[in-house]
Amino acid sequence: MKKFLLLSLLPLFLFAKDGKTIYAETCASCHGENGKAETGVKLVVKPRSLHKSILTKKQMFQIIKHGAHDFGARSDIMPSFKYVYNDKEIESVANYISNSFNSNIKKKLKNLLPTQNISVEKQKKMLSIGKNIFQKRCAKCHGIRGDGESEYVEMSKANSKFIYPYNLQKILLTQNQIFLFSKYGSKYWGANKNNMPAWLVKYNDYELKSVAKYIEEKIKN
Amino acid sequence: MKTFIATLLIITSLQAKDYVVDQKNKTFMPGEMHVKVGDTITFKNSDPFSHNAYTDDEDNEFDIGMQATGTEKTVKIKKAGEFHIECAIHPNMLIKVKVDE
Repeated sequence: MKKFLLLSLLPLFLFAKDGKTIYAETCASCHGENGKAETGVKLVVKPRSLHKSILTKKQMFQIIKHGAHDFGARSDIMPSFKYVYNDKEIESVANYISNSFNSNIKKKLKNLLPTQNISVEKQKKMLSIGKNIFQKRCAKCHGIRGDGESEYVEMSKANSKFIYPYNLQKILLTQNQIFLFSKYGSKYWGANKNNMPAWLVKYNDYELKSVAKYIEEKIKN
Repeated sequence: MKTFIATLLIITSLQAKDYVVDQKNKTFMPGEMHVKVGDTITFKNSDPFSHNAYTDDEDNEFDIGMQATGTEKTVKIKKAGEFHIECAIHPNMLIKVKVDE
């Protein structure tokens, strides 16, 4: 039985394409040969620069396999490749992207995170601070439930170039990544524009960490 | 007496000015204002997306809500002092306002 299973899996390994080949034949047309998305492709949401991506290797695998829509994107057209490539191939392309363009992401994320400890007293207040900021600012675009439905969307969606805010209930980012994404904004992390602005001009680390905690614990599914 | 008060109110309202603030390229123009109590500020939105001017200042608190492209909204200045006006969804947008009696 074991022999049969091994033999039946053999074609997957024999014919599986390597990450570099898959990247060149599929990903490069949007993200560019060098991953910097300098292809001139005309889309409402321009492809992200993979050099600046906030995603880890495992998260890239999820996005490539299931597509950005499954993780809250409403305008990005990064499609699902689960019917095009098998898991092994998707894993190899995620490895190729990560190793070639974004190998120091974990170190970068770690370096950007503040090291000072938050007192227990302060930690108790984080959810209420996060909720307050979320409802006053984030909800204006992402909606009070974070599902991406808001007055802003209703007013703007007639514009064909409108970029929908993410459905935060479905996002893949961890609490620390949410903090860093909201602090520095989407352009810093590889988007063509700062559709998600950098909130560091308005809020300090403690406040933005509180928002991230609120999103992680009360908004995400 | 009634005539006097009415005249006074008319004179006061005539003296009040309306200042126009344009919102373009995610910037308030002008970025600094010097106004008087009773003046009004009209916010124009010339960007191809919405804005949301507001202030948390206790004396002059307002939030005009989401403002669509090409529309105008007006607020009245109530008390003297200094405060900031910001956009709820674009954190780099800021007006410094000084209000005299």
